[in-house]
Amino acid sequence: MIRFFERYEAETSQFFDEVISKEGAPRPHYDKMLHRFGQFSADDIKARREIVNIFFRNQGITFTVYGEEEGVERLFPFDLIPRVVPANEWQTIERGLTQRITALNTFLHDIYHGQKILKDKIIPAELILGSQHFRREFVGVNPPLGIYIHVTGSDIIRDGEGNYLVLEDNLRTPSGVSYMLQNRQAMKRAFPVLFDKYKIRPIENYPQELLRTLQEIGPVSRRDPNVVVLTPGIYNSAYFEHSFLARQMGVELTEGKDLVVNNNKVYTRTTRGLERVDVVYRRVDDAFLDPLVFRPDSKLGVAGLVNAYRKGNVTLANAIGCGVADDKVIYSFVPEIIKYYLGEDPILQNVPTWLASNPSDLKYILANLGSLVVKAANESGGYGMLIGPESSIEQQENFAEMIVANPRNYIAQPTISLSRHPSFFNDTELFGCHIDLRPYVLYGKTVTIVPGGLTRVALKRGSLVVNSSQGGGSKDTWVVDE
Amino acid sequence: MLSRVAESLFWMSRYFERAENTARFLDVNFNLLLDLNKITHIENPSYWVALILVTSDKERFNNLYDEYSARTVTDYLVFNKSNPNSITSCIGLARENARSIIESISSEMWEQVNNLYHYLQNVTPQFVQNDPYGFYKEIKNASHLFQGITDNTFSHNEGWDFIQIAKYLERTDNIARLIDVKYHMLLSEAQSQPELVAGSEDIIQWMAVLKSCSALEAFRKVYLSKIDPDNILRFLILDRTFPRSINFSVCAAEDALWRISGSSRHRYVNNADRLIGKLEAELSYTAIEDIFAKGLHLYLEDLEQRLVKVGEQVHLTYFAYHTPEIESSDIEEALPFTGIAGGRANWSQAQQHQQQQ
Repeated sequence: MIRFFERYEAETSQFFDEVISKEGAPRPHYDKMLHRFGQFSADDIKARREIVNIFFRNQGITFTVYGEEEGVERLFPFDLIPRVVPANEWQTIERGLTQRITALNTFLHDIYHGQKILKDKIIPAELILGSQHFRREFVGVNPPLGIYIHVTGSDIIRDGEGNYLVLEDNLRTPSGVSYMLQNRQAMKRAFPVLFDKYKIRPIENYPQELLRTLQEIGPVSRRDPNVVVLTPGIYNSAYFEHSFLARQMGVELTEGKDLVVNNNKVYTRTTRGLERVDVVYRRVDDAFLDPLVFRPDSKLGVAGLVNAYRKGNVTLANAIGCGVADDKVIYSFVPEIIKYYLGEDPILQNVPTWLASNPSDLKYILANLGSLVVKAANESGGYGMLIGPESSIEQQENFAEMIVANPRNYIAQPTISLSRHPSFFNDTELFGCHIDLRPYVLYGKTVTIVPGGLTRVALKRGSLVVNSSQGGGSKDTWVVDE
Repeated sequence: MLSRVAESLFWMSRYFERAENTARFLDVNFNLLLDLNKITHIENPSYWVALILVTSDKERFNNLYDEYSARTVTDYLVFNKSNPNSITSCIGLARENARSIIESISSEMWEQVNNLYHYLQNVTPQFVQNDPYGFYKEIKNASHLFQGITDNTFSHNEGWDFIQIAKYLERTDNIARLIDVKYHMLLSEAQSQPELVAGSEDIIQWMAVLKSCSALEAFRKVYLSKIDPDNILRFLILDRTFPRSINFSVCAAEDALWRISGSSRHRYVNNADRLIGKLEAELSYTAIEDIFAKGLHLYLEDLEQRLVKVGEQVHLTYFAYHTPEIESSDIEEALPFTGIAGGRANWSQAQQHQQQQ
């Protein structure tokens, strides 16, 4: 605990610190890390920062920020100190997520078939049927293996006691997995010695696992299915990831205009004619997928794609209509969903959630706007959010109006003081930054979770928002065996 | 290979080659002034207007600047973002194309385009003025490095062939323009100052033309020191072994096109193959006297037109691909293929900004 950590203030009375326990001692799984970082001078850190920056820049790992001057590309902020998750904690996360994703998938199958859970009144039917992500076009369709959510990135946080809680299920087009992989590469270049000291579980096989999953879910009639990635295009903020994954899997990266549907079959346009496509890993929202079915003004989609899908000639990953299950209102029902379909108690808990559509909850929300976090049910990326303690009276009043006008669209949660992790500030001093964790779950014939995930970190002093679109950064995440 | 990917490879390569050639034009002009001991006349417009003629951009240039000088022409050809052919624009467009197919090219290729792009972001006019030789060499070397990396890290299959087609079509076009303009310059000087054209200044100018194609040494090996316009034109247009001659470049483009389509001599399968084959055949049986008989300027102009036609046919054959059997509603609803030369259209930019979870 020399140099950098000497002056580090964990403030363990207020926050759960990942590295320093309440007693003020480093947690055992961080011992070797602190020792190693203790040997570094400020210049060492600077040199390593340079290695990392060059790596990211050369790889073209930049992030486009909307609303700024066109073409502004920034390096994705990266913190040099990795997060360590001990194997026993990881086991809980792994089991919890497997349970949760299995239940949510069963839920989706039910919603798009018999709707038993609505008939049994576990969830009010109007919440489902009125959701903007419920796709009636898709009722009765049978995706291969009955799987809807092939790729998930659940957001997990830790509360003041260090319990892992699920904050969000991202069941549509979760992003960030490429940063998980690249962060590991960058760390290996900058801190090779540190890797010698820990038994870190590898994550490098994610692209192979993803490809395997995508091939498993191909149309039953097609052997050796041809997989493509569908991207909105180079101006999308996650474009780097789309191309990265296509390259890592060795499959074509396509835009809507590269695909064409003929006789309910999907093809790519190539220099030698048309080539059949069996599985589309699409990173395009439902609404833009097919101008004949959804938004007619979509220039990103493929006319006829949904029909081809309904006929079973092509598989989309994730399936259409998954958004109905990751809606922030439905989120509050996930513990019931797990109990209903699996007959088990949830392994990972939810963050307590009040629904504005519920009159008594609404009253509570409006009375406590200053202390709650209010979220729009269908937004992501940290948009449409009110953080009570940081908000002005005027902002609160605005939100109150919006909530009353459309209660179905809002939920509220207590302001949870997310766990903190020492992170570099200007590469000269450490301070505690709030973090979360997004592991990536693959669901084909089996559920696979690569050990690790993307740890997002709110690099603004005191900020709670970790989304990259809001100035957050990330860290490498190590699941270690002792 | 996806048509869109093929097209982006094509334009990535073409813009890179164009940037290199622009650097060559500028570099040789500085050298010429040095050789002629006219560095003190560096702002003399007659030495700079030719560079604008070479790129056929006179009108756009005149809208932006009041005079032809080292400063304005360098600014226009190196930095100006509204000039799509400036070195900065070309490398930006090459990078944009590369970025859109980053998964298809090797990461080494991407790093090279990206490095050059970032290098150019930090270059100032002052820097170029202080060391023009160093700067243009940097651009030329970057282009050579890119080609070397491409040859050694990228499979020599269809995609590589599209890169070659683009490179050699662009190069042919640039050599033709360069010769044409120098010829004009010399011609106009011959009228105003006939004594110069016959003298050593003429030789120095022609040597500059050779230098800008890195051809001086190769030329000397063939023609020893008989530097006269006939030999120089014979070399730059008709030589079959020098990589910056028109004949060589057309042959190389033809080879690449044939590898893609499986065409062979006397048997073409599409119009791109036919047009390039015809051009190549004619070049093979042309003597420099034939060119003079037609008139050099007319000959070069005709050549440039024919290169444009080849480019159009490559586009129609491979990039604008659609199958005739797909008719009915499917094709009507599908978007037309909109890949275009000047980079990428912005029509879908707004929609691409959809939120990612």
